[in-house]
Amino acid sequence: MTESADFTLGQVLEIRQEELLNAWMNSVLLTWRRKYPHTAINEDLLRLQSRQLLDELRKLFSGAIPPEGWEPVPGSKIATLLYDFSVKHAKHGIKHNDTVLYISVIKQLLIRALLQDAPPACRVLNTLIISMDHVLDRLTVTLYDAYLETRERIIAQQSLSLLELSTPVVRLWDRVVMVPLIGVIDTQRARQITERLLEAIAKYEATVAILDVTGVPVLDTSVAGHIMKTIAAAQMLGAQVVMTGINPDGAQTLVKLGVNFAEVTTRATLRAGIAEGLLRVGKRIVPIKE
Amino acid sequence: MKIPILRLGDILLTSIQVDLTDAEVMQFQGDVLHAIADIEARGLLIDITAMEVVDSFMARTINDTANMARLLGAEVVVCGMHPAVALTLIEMGRGLIGVETTFNLNEGLVRLNRRIQQRGDSISTDQDE
Repeated sequence: MTESADFTLGQVLEIRQEELLNAWMNSVLLTWRRKYPHTAINEDLLRLQSRQLLDELRKLFSGAIPPEGWEPVPGSKIATLLYDFSVKHAKHGIKHNDTVLYISVIKQLLIRALLQDAPPACRVLNTLIISMDHVLDRLTVTLYDAYLETRERIIAQQSLSLLELSTPVVRLWDRVVMVPLIGVIDTQRARQITERLLEAIAKYEATVAILDVTGVPVLDTSVAGHIMKTIAAAQMLGAQVVMTGINPDGAQTLVKLGVNFAEVTTRATLRAGIAEGLLRVGKRIVPIKE
Repeated sequence: MKIPILRLGDILLTSIQVDLTDAEVMQFQGDVLHAIADIEARGLLIDITAMEVVDSFMARTINDTANMARLLGAEVVVCGMHPAVALTLIEMGRGLIGVETTFNLNEGLVRLNRRIQQRGDSISTDQDE
């Protein structure tokens, strides 16, 4: 056994690395496999990353104990390792608590190893454990930050693509454009819908714009306000607006709220709205003559 | 008491015969709107021949119902208004704004049909039916 004053975590890690790594991987993988039976986990990669992480820890704890208030330097090897790890698992749909579990497992293992290996009456043991606890806590925070960041990025991307998906402006016929509104209309979406509609009106020189609200679940004051702005904007470009797909409840709500779309032609169905729109450009739908 | 709503092709015909309580008015409004949505009616004719007194609440209700029906894509005509009722409404400064009115049912139907015939859905679909 070494002299008690020279006892470091680095030594423990050097001697026990394989053993710790195995115990670590077994514990983590056991939980993950149970909770995520359908997620393919690349064990070799995980093992490789974990080994590198242990190496970094060993380096960190081989000499003097890391100073109080230690933080992983952004861009350092250890921070990068954790960041990559977190990003990967966030994308695979592993939950945050199970990602953080990765660090808490190794913490447990290291504390146990320290207690076992420390020479009797080791004076530095307490300091060592406190310091290690701090370092691993900071690593957990790093992991968690990266996880959240990734998740938020994913959500932002999704809502962006949802926004793109849900606001198509369709050119129905020469000089007739149509916007099928689907889902909840908030300020941001309303602005985008208006922009798209105006662009389409300008591009196709449309004189009729059909606004279909069949897919809007709730017509309340704010939604009505947004739709009114869209309509007013379209009318400023000289387009006549036909609104379709209002349901009885929606109609009641709108009138009770004092919104009556006086300048707008309304039709029950998109079918009737299209017929109306075509009429305004001097067209109609007729059966093919045999 | 439930007010009957009659169907006349694409038109719904309803006649308000008695004084209605507030709850009945709301019931009537809901019934009319759902009937319009169900058959995709193109016109609504509200007959008020039997009403000798129209208070401001009633006038407002008729006006609101007409606007709601319009949002559902139906043309609306109110018919059978008594001269006395017209005078009262003017006095109150609360006309049935935005709703076309005719003296009798026949004229109401004629006006309604004329308006419906000018609509895009009639022009497109009358051919193939």
